[in-house]
Amino acid sequence: MLGKIGVVTSWTIIRLPPADFGYQAPYPVVIVSLDNGESMVAQMVDYDEKNLHIGQRVVTVVRRTVQVKTDDVVPYGIKVKPI
Amino acid sequence: MNIYIIGAATTKFGELWGVSPRTLATTAVSNALKDAEITTKEIEALFVGNMLSGMLGGQEHLGAFFAEELGISVPAFKIEGACASGGLALHNAVNSVLSGQYKTVVVLGVEKMTDHKPEDVATALMGAGSEGERLSGATFPGLYAIIARAHMEKYKTTERDLASVAVKNHYHASLNPNAQFHSPITIEQVLKSSCVADPLKLLDCSPISDGAAAVIITSNPSTVNKKHVEIIASVAATDTLGLAQRASLTELHATKDAGVRAFKKAGMKPSDVDIAEVHDCFTIAEILAMEDLGFYKKGEAATAIARGETMLGTSKHFVVNPSGGLKGCGHPVGATGVKQVVELFDQLLGRAQKRQVSHATIGLAHNVGGSGATATVHILKNI
Repeated sequence: MLGKIGVVTSWTIIRLPPADFGYQAPYPVVIVSLDNGESMVAQMVDYDEKNLHIGQRVVTVVRRTVQVKTDDVVPYGIKVKPI
Repeated sequence: MNIYIIGAATTKFGELWGVSPRTLATTAVSNALKDAEITTKEIEALFVGNMLSGMLGGQEHLGAFFAEELGISVPAFKIEGACASGGLALHNAVNSVLSGQYKTVVVLGVEKMTDHKPEDVATALMGAGSEGERLSGATFPGLYAIIARAHMEKYKTTERDLASVAVKNHYHASLNPNAQFHSPITIEQVLKSSCVADPLKLLDCSPISDGAAAVIITSNPSTVNKKHVEIIASVAATDTLGLAQRASLTELHATKDAGVRAFKKAGMKPSDVDIAEVHDCFTIAEILAMEDLGFYKKGEAATAIARGETMLGTSKHFVVNPSGGLKGCGHPVGATGVKQVVELFDQLLGRAQKRQVSHATIGLAHNVGGSGATATVHILKNI
């Protein structure tokens, strides 16, 4: 799933987050149509406002998904960043 | 075999902090039984529609829970399909009677969700989505905002168009004594409300609500009294769980599929429908419903709604969400699908008082689960 390129087909900015994501808000969540034909939903990171549009090209990256307690396993997941 | 609704009732919908799920259920069911002029003795099975009792209340096994509370030791089932739990409970109840296994059953939709912090309810509601959506930090307003953005890009739908859905449904709700909201609102108030998930604002979103609704269904002609309405179609459909896996971001295929099959079963077309209760969890969802059910062509529903074509008082014929919909009446998740049918029942029997639609003969109820993974359509006919 890493290093896959795709294009944003729609997007939003989450301003009222679920409990675990509180500290990250506001953040964009986008639908990406990957060049390999698959589609996925992901948070967009390392972005400027100008990257938030349908048609923006992105690449998949690994990021921590949520903050956890000191003795928990750190959860990582796939997010996307503009290219 | 004909299937009839012979009694129906809802509780008030709203932030009912002093009312337990037990009381909600007993109120709705006992009023429905009174309406049907029967007692619990005639009830052969109980279908409960609910989504969050486990995650928010620690209680699953709701069939047994409510059977005991209602004092009916009958076969009892909890049916869950996110926000379509009510419609699915109704669909299963109809099938159980069509099978000949039971003659008279009660369907109860009930939800208790206002006793929790918004961020915890948002997390629980994401149980209706996919794992990918949960891991991305999406919320339901976020998923429908993504749909809205795509619809606005493709069809030039505007935020004012979205706002007109909320204005219409709050107006209808102001005529409904059981609705969560009581005052009409304006387009400007919607546009000025805080952003929840761009472009959806607070007043584009249905509220978190408590409430219950119940209907009594029978195939037994001797149980049927003067007051009855026929269910002429009950259909369920499924699409992918997650939004990213859909064939399109601007239409719900589950709705389209359920609608086509329901109209076929009923021998009707969209233009035959006098009143519809559709799933406006967010303003954009009503626009999609109008298009996906075939009432309007793709891209044409928004301006029609903004012109007042589906509103009480300004519509020439077809009224949508006379109860106030999810937006105005409230959305206790598991109760909504059943409440929609209660509203149609009241309208078709001419007892909807201030929000009565004149000459209503055919009613359609449309209930959606998640961001469109499940859809049910019921068509009711006044005999």
